[in-house]
Amino acid sequence: MVSVNAKAAGDPILEIDKVNLTLGGHEILRDVSAQIGNGEFVCVVGPSGCGKTTMLRLLAGLYQPSAGAVTYRGQRMLHPRQDIAIVFQDYGKALLPWRTAHGNVALAFEAMGAPRNGRDEKIEQLLVKVGLGGQGKKYPNQLSGGMQQRLQIARCLAQSPAVLLMDEPFGALDAMTRQGLQDEVLSIVRETGATAFFVTHDLEEAIYLGDRVIGMLPHPGRVAITVDVNLPHPRNQLTTREDPEFLSLRRQLFDFIKDAES
Amino acid sequence: MKVERLLWLGASVLVFAGFIYFWQLISDYRWVSPVFLPGPDRAWQALVRGITTGDLLVRWTATIERMIYGWLLASLAGICLGALIGSSERARAYIGPTLELMRPLPASAVVPLAIALLGLSETMVLAVIAFGGLWPMLLATVHGFSAVEPRLYEVSRALGLSRTAVIFKIALPSSMPDILAGMRLSLTVALILAVIGEMLASRDGLGSHIMLAARAFRSPDLFAGVILLGVTGLVSAMLLSWFESWMLRWRESR
Repeated sequence: MVSVNAKAAGDPILEIDKVNLTLGGHEILRDVSAQIGNGEFVCVVGPSGCGKTTMLRLLAGLYQPSAGAVTYRGQRMLHPRQDIAIVFQDYGKALLPWRTAHGNVALAFEAMGAPRNGRDEKIEQLLVKVGLGGQGKKYPNQLSGGMQQRLQIARCLAQSPAVLLMDEPFGALDAMTRQGLQDEVLSIVRETGATAFFVTHDLEEAIYLGDRVIGMLPHPGRVAITVDVNLPHPRNQLTTREDPEFLSLRRQLFDFIKDAES
Repeated sequence: MKVERLLWLGASVLVFAGFIYFWQLISDYRWVSPVFLPGPDRAWQALVRGITTGDLLVRWTATIERMIYGWLLASLAGICLGALIGSSERARAYIGPTLELMRPLPASAVVPLAIALLGLSETMVLAVIAFGGLWPMLLATVHGFSAVEPRLYEVSRALGLSRTAVIFKIALPSSMPDILAGMRLSLTVALILAVIGEMLASRDGLGSHIMLAARAFRSPDLFAGVILLGVTGLVSAMLLSWFESWMLRWRESR
């Protein structure tokens, strides 16, 4: 079951190579290595403080490693790139409250210097894609939490990202909204062919979404286990979650976390 | 809800009418000598006379002009300087204490200095208004810029926004509530200083009108000037608060 990046070995788009990270005298990550294949959906789980969000920020170019290297298509990540989009957990803080839904998506186009011609139609298409069709004139505080997160995803899609980094994007949402968004993210990622890196504390969510699940442990943060998920696509909230493979993976990861905490 | 608002409006009109009536009583029964306190009737007559002959109108517009120019000057300078200081943590640490020291300085205290430097000129009055109005603007803008949600800066980096775009698309709109509050404070200060400046530099305006009327014991004229100042303050504050709620319409829309 524990394999060494079988899928990623051929064609890694993102690579973390023996990375150490120390911030303010604290060792956050020690000797972390991981490869993410082109078009792969990788999930990261682990107890809080294990550095999973930090790993995402390294991949985003928001942090620089103290030692080791993070590379994107073979080149060092020295700063954030427009073709790598980040979905933050706190959608309430990541959206511009003074801009409408339409205006928030427009920000991505403005940043890219995209032509104004046809921009409005593109924005409406993106809003429709995330299920916010016709809501363009609303301000974020007029939208529910789930809708705000959809809006943030729409803004990320406006970047036409090759990689979608998601930091516990559904952590603050209720169970029903969360399941709906899981399926939508899966279909969007498959449709666009984007590579996805998804941080979560929810084991089942990780298995449900991922092609591969990386388990991390804290003090200092390190990669402790990597599990391939061989569940059929498209995934289904009922049948996938009842699949014996799903259950055995869940057991495996659950035991891993429990051992880590004891 | 609407009925409640109407009731409140009615009540405040009633209070205002009561105030005028009480004022009339005082002057009718000569509780205060009419040399110092004219009745509302005489003050109103003086006001109408001043406006129809045009004398008072000219002075009124002169004062409003000074107030607005000085205020705009203060706002522009305050926003620019505030943005500069507020967007750098180091600048805040170095300059902050000095600002706090200069802020409570009454602007009227710098009038003698301004007169020495600029003479009894229009420039001097404008400079004093701008100086006094600058502080609330500056501090509000610094606060606004330093309170921008850090996550938005990360979003800007991830989206690849340019430095200028970050200032104009993120920091400035995010600081807008603070900036508008600062502008409201600054407007009040500007009106006060316009009047003081006119009194001290005897520039033609409501301030000098009031002072000359007082010296000549023409109390109705004095009160006409004071009423116009009150109206100016009220109307300008109302206009600004409309502008504010329009600018910040994203806030209340729930």
